[in-house]
Amino acid sequence: MSVCIQANQVSKVFGGLTAVNQVDLTVPEHAITSIIGPNGAGKTTLFNCISGYYTPEQGQIIFYGAPIQGLPTYVIASLGIARTYQNIRLFGNLTAIENVLTGEEPKLRANWFEALIGSRRMRAEEKAAVQEARRLLKYVGLEGLGDQLARNLPYGAQRKLEIARALANQPRLLLLDEPTAGMNSQETEQMTRFIRSLRDDLGITIILIEHDMQVVMGISDQITVLDYGTKIAEGMPKEIQTNQRVIEAYLGPGGQALTKKYQERKNGSHVIR
Amino acid sequence: MTEKPILRGLRTGLVFGLIMVFLFLIGFTDTGANLVAKMLGNPTPTNQHPSVTYYAIFMALYATWCGSAAANRVAAGTSLINRLGAGTVGGFTAGAICSLTGYIFGTLNQQGIDPRAYLVALSPQTIQLFLFNAESVASGALTLVGVMTAGGLLGAVLAVAWKAWVGKRLIGLKQDTGHLYQNVLLQQWKDKALVRYALLALLAAALLILPRAWGSYWNYVLGTVGIYIVLGLGLNIITGLAGQLVIGYVAFFGLGAYTFALLSAPEPHQISMNFWIALVLAVVVAAVFGFLLGLPILNLRGDYLAIVTMGFGEIVRILLKSDLLTSFTGGPKGVRDIGGPTLFGRPFNSDVDFMYLIIIAVLVIAFLANRLQRSRVGRAWEAVREDETVARATGINAFRSKILALTISAAIAGLAGVLFASRNQFTGPEDHSLLVSINVICLVIVGGIGSIPGIILGAFALKGLPEVLREVESFRMLAFGALLVLMMNIRPEGFWPASRPKLENQAEEAIAAVPAEQKV
Repeated sequence: MSVCIQANQVSKVFGGLTAVNQVDLTVPEHAITSIIGPNGAGKTTLFNCISGYYTPEQGQIIFYGAPIQGLPTYVIASLGIARTYQNIRLFGNLTAIENVLTGEEPKLRANWFEALIGSRRMRAEEKAAVQEARRLLKYVGLEGLGDQLARNLPYGAQRKLEIARALANQPRLLLLDEPTAGMNSQETEQMTRFIRSLRDDLGITIILIEHDMQVVMGISDQITVLDYGTKIAEGMPKEIQTNQRVIEAYLGPGGQALTKKYQERKNGSHVIR
Repeated sequence: MTEKPILRGLRTGLVFGLIMVFLFLIGFTDTGANLVAKMLGNPTPTNQHPSVTYYAIFMALYATWCGSAAANRVAAGTSLINRLGAGTVGGFTAGAICSLTGYIFGTLNQQGIDPRAYLVALSPQTIQLFLFNAESVASGALTLVGVMTAGGLLGAVLAVAWKAWVGKRLIGLKQDTGHLYQNVLLQQWKDKALVRYALLALLAAALLILPRAWGSYWNYVLGTVGIYIVLGLGLNIITGLAGQLVIGYVAFFGLGAYTFALLSAPEPHQISMNFWIALVLAVVVAAVFGFLLGLPILNLRGDYLAIVTMGFGEIVRILLKSDLLTSFTGGPKGVRDIGGPTLFGRPFNSDVDFMYLIIIAVLVIAFLANRLQRSRVGRAWEAVREDETVARATGINAFRSKILALTISAAIAGLAGVLFASRNQFTGPEDHSLLVSINVICLVIVGGIGSIPGIILGAFALKGLPEVLREVESFRMLAFGALLVLMMNIRPEGFWPASRPKLENQAEEAIAAVPAEQKV
């Protein structure tokens, strides 16, 4: 299995605070990788480094063999890295389908002059783009809502729309920042299945930031744990559950005993909360 | 009678009264009476004060408005007496406040104190008129209270009658038109190509015939409106679509006008270039300046960008009239005898010809702006406006997008400048003051940001109406301010808000043309 994206010793500093500290990360192709950690651990900062909002002070980010750190965000997007946001960030005053069309931007070739004169190529391209956007809306289950303003959509639909916009880029790597935040258990389960199908059906490599451990443990091929910007553990879900440093990061010192007690009472069900 | 309706009336009267006092202090009462006179078909001769009759009608109308507002504010279901009472109290309160003011100023006037040292517009005649040219101050003040109380009562009666009779009918009418709108047959009829072409043909005929029919005054007024529509459409691209607040937009207008003027006027450079070549060059120069200005500043956001562009606008104006450049730009006295257009070697510069030229410019720019707005370019602009950070991560080169928007906007402003300079055959630095920018921003906001029909409407409202209502010209800024405050409160999206294209449920035949292998 080849490597999709690799971070080598990546560090990002804000003033005196090291938000991400020499983090290594290797994500194999077609895998679902979860990044977990307490609040403020640097998970989203790492995402922002990958998608190009931040340029890391140190280290390399290598996407399919080519270094991408320091490239402009839109170039990184056009290489096939798409993302969603922790707090939904749609283009509120655009319709749902226009949001998806915006996601197709890296694929479009017509320039402004062609748009001005209405060239044949531009019109064909636009038609194909609209059709693709409709297909994507249907794929994420928003058929019929395409002409609604994005800000008028219900919360769950907005989350789906954000994913549809990311998919419009035909990404090779998808960064999902807390995709199940604010969802009930049923919606969460639905979203989990959906994320898995993205990998299985479309072959997209996925990195996930998630707080819901049930989701993380159920879906991930591998898990990376960050705490205070440093990677403290890495491995399969099973390994992470029993990792002492992880438990301490979440529960504080002495957490091990607490967890044991909890697990005994739960009759060995594997939950970290 | 309970206490509440009276209090409501009192409060409404207080507001209306204080506004009228303010209007009196700035001398608007004369203007109001003049307006009434004009509307009744008996305009006041210039340099004369309006007659008492028209003034009385003006005050009574104002009090009627006050009374109906007061009556409408009383909670529904209160008795007739209460509502009428509220209106009367409203009119009386407003009248009392006004008459107190009138009494004070009337007395001062009698003692020979001229308030004009502090309030420029308050001439003795205006004060006299405010008191109905009465013999004594007291009787004038009493008349004022009487007229306004009667007006308040009338307003209340009208409001009650409206609610009881007309209001009910209106609701019925609204429902009827609603049904009509949903009527499938009508919808189909509206969508039919033939009908749309017929309407377009009608519009084209009107645009072709009207400039010949309505005379040079209207050609001048509507030509100005047309130039402002072009400016509005240009500003709409950078500010409405790309969301970058550019205040010094007039700079590009000035650059276009001056480039054209210097290339086509005999003074100060003796170039006298052909109109069309000069037009293209002027547009290019404006666009180049837009591009160059954009390079350093478009990374700024929000307020900073607004301030920097405002500075640029002022710099251009001040440079145009500076002593340093007098030999190059003509300095403060501007450039005269600017060339007019020619068509196949013949002059094409009568007022009718210019009106045609401006109409063509408006249509072409509106057509192109619409095309851009509905393409991927426009979508990228709007994405940048909505959330620049996210737009970048969806693959939009935000900086390039904004530079493109500013360049196109500047080019359009340059075109407007050419039309303006060439039509007036003159351009000077004061034609390009910050006020033009503010006017354009206002018309875009009032019309509807991002909406092409809205901008056309806004230009008519903000440039056309003041030309027609010459009387209120000195109060234009006041009216603008009031209008903007009102719009922001009542209809922040503008008169004619932008509509979004319906892409998901578009007619299927539009997609059928796409080659099969592209269908997924």
